[in-house]
Amino acid sequence: MSSSSRENVMRHIDLVGQLQPALHRPQHAPYPDAIDHALFRAYMRTSHDVGGEPDIPIRWEEKQEEQWEVNTYVTCECLAWRGIWNAEERRRRQNVDLGQTQYLGLPYYGRWLLSAARIMVDKQHVTLTELINKIEEVKKRHEKKSPR
Amino acid sequence: MKRSHHAEKSTGKGDPQCFKGEAGPAKFKVGDRVRIKNLPDIFYTRCQVYTRGAEGTVAVVTHESPAPEDEAWDNTDKPEWFYIVRFKQKDLWSDYPSAYPNDSVQTEFSERWLEKA
Amino acid sequence: MAEKHKAAPMVDEVSDFEILEAAVRELAIEKGLFTADDHRRFTEFAHSIGPLPAARLVAKAWLDPKFKKLALEDGVKASLQVGIDWLNPTGFGTPSDYTDLRVLEDTAKVKHVVVCTLCSCYPRPILGHSPEWYRTPNYRRRLVRWPRQVLAEFGLQLPADVEIRVEDSNQKCRFMVLPMRPAGTDGWSEEQLASIVTRDCMIGVALPHPDRKQDDKRPIHPAVHPIQHDHGHDHAHGH
Repeated sequence: MSSSSRENVMRHIDLVGQLQPALHRPQHAPYPDAIDHALFRAYMRTSHDVGGEPDIPIRWEEKQEEQWEVNTYVTCECLAWRGIWNAEERRRRQNVDLGQTQYLGLPYYGRWLLSAARIMVDKQHVTLTELINKIEEVKKRHEKKSPR
Repeated sequence: MKRSHHAEKSTGKGDPQCFKGEAGPAKFKVGDRVRIKNLPDIFYTRCQVYTRGAEGTVAVVTHESPAPEDEAWDNTDKPEWFYIVRFKQKDLWSDYPSAYPNDSVQTEFSERWLEKA
Repeated sequence: MAEKHKAAPMVDEVSDFEILEAAVRELAIEKGLFTADDHRRFTEFAHSIGPLPAARLVAKAWLDPKFKKLALEDGVKASLQVGIDWLNPTGFGTPSDYTDLRVLEDTAKVKHVVVCTLCSCYPRPILGHSPEWYRTPNYRRRLVRWPRQVLAEFGLQLPADVEIRVEDSNQKCRFMVLPMRPAGTDGWSEEQLASIVTRDCMIGVALPHPDRKQDDKRPIHPAVHPIQHDHGHDHAHGH
């Protein structure tokens, strides 16, 4: 591994240490007797259910869509059109299954995209190995096109 | 590629129309007072926590469909009736300003979530 | 201020999303989950939709009481008269949008506004793609509980005796608002009327006005790699 990829690894570990998937506690993964009914319910909360949570006013903006966002929308719809998933499965996967951290941390269509990748693996249309190899292949193709 | 049962069934009809006639008689009608049950939260639902235990009025009997808790795993065996229930804001949020007593929220439930108030 | 915490725009030449998107699409096609032609056809559909058919539906309902009755009773059937067949393009709709359109009629005493607190349910076939703000957790968190504050941020303030009725769209129904016809539009044609019924009026965060043919100007977050297509209009902006 090159020294720059080791630096990346160190930066990554620092960054993920700042993610907040749970109440901050000195000891994560607590003993069972630390979880009462209220905490259990809080951790079982489905990440999409945000109605009524307090929040501050933000500036309402319009957003121009990225090409990959439209492509992702279309890919997800085509998977439904051809019967790979139904819309309720999609909603579960895109809005709940990926967990609170990714739910709030990633862009809207980023979640759609991850769930499309995930359903193909979960339903064994592709192996994870094939997906990883394909990602590497696409990456290499782009590097060839625009070397840094 | 074999298409899912769902895609085949809804082609030419639409969804939820493809489940019409599968739920039997509806238990509630427009105008009924209902309370939202507080069933356990686990893995998935479309019943928002902010409605649990609240009382409202059935505004529309909408259609028949499998409940999201089932359909989210592609189980469409047991469609239920769905209802739009209207709540007074002050019945949902105790701190809702009393200056606006008519303000309301309405949202939709499968029958399993409703009981007579 | 919220802006301070905003991440800087990504400057990578190719984002991780772009790489993953291409990988997923190519694999799905290679494995026969759908065809390249399916993807192309649906892309055409995605570029063809916008809020105009819904605006025409509103204008027609203002002019024709019989049509209005149909729109309120059967939104899907009424949509056909403004050129929208909810079963297209797949034979069972735009799969993520289901096919049960409900039209919510505003009156002097009731003002509707739509949100989906659980995701971003939106009647895309007739209203086009949802705006990004509609999808934000912020809008979804606050609208069901503080509707008057949120509407005021959109420039809409309503008297206390008007019932603000929030529709939290959470199942298979899709909703659009039929606002009241504004004063000063007597004798207008369907086309003239449709021109003042903007996307925001049909979500419910704005009211039609005879002098306003566009939604309020808001800042636009630009795309790094915007959509490339030859339709000569940018659907992401609606109208």
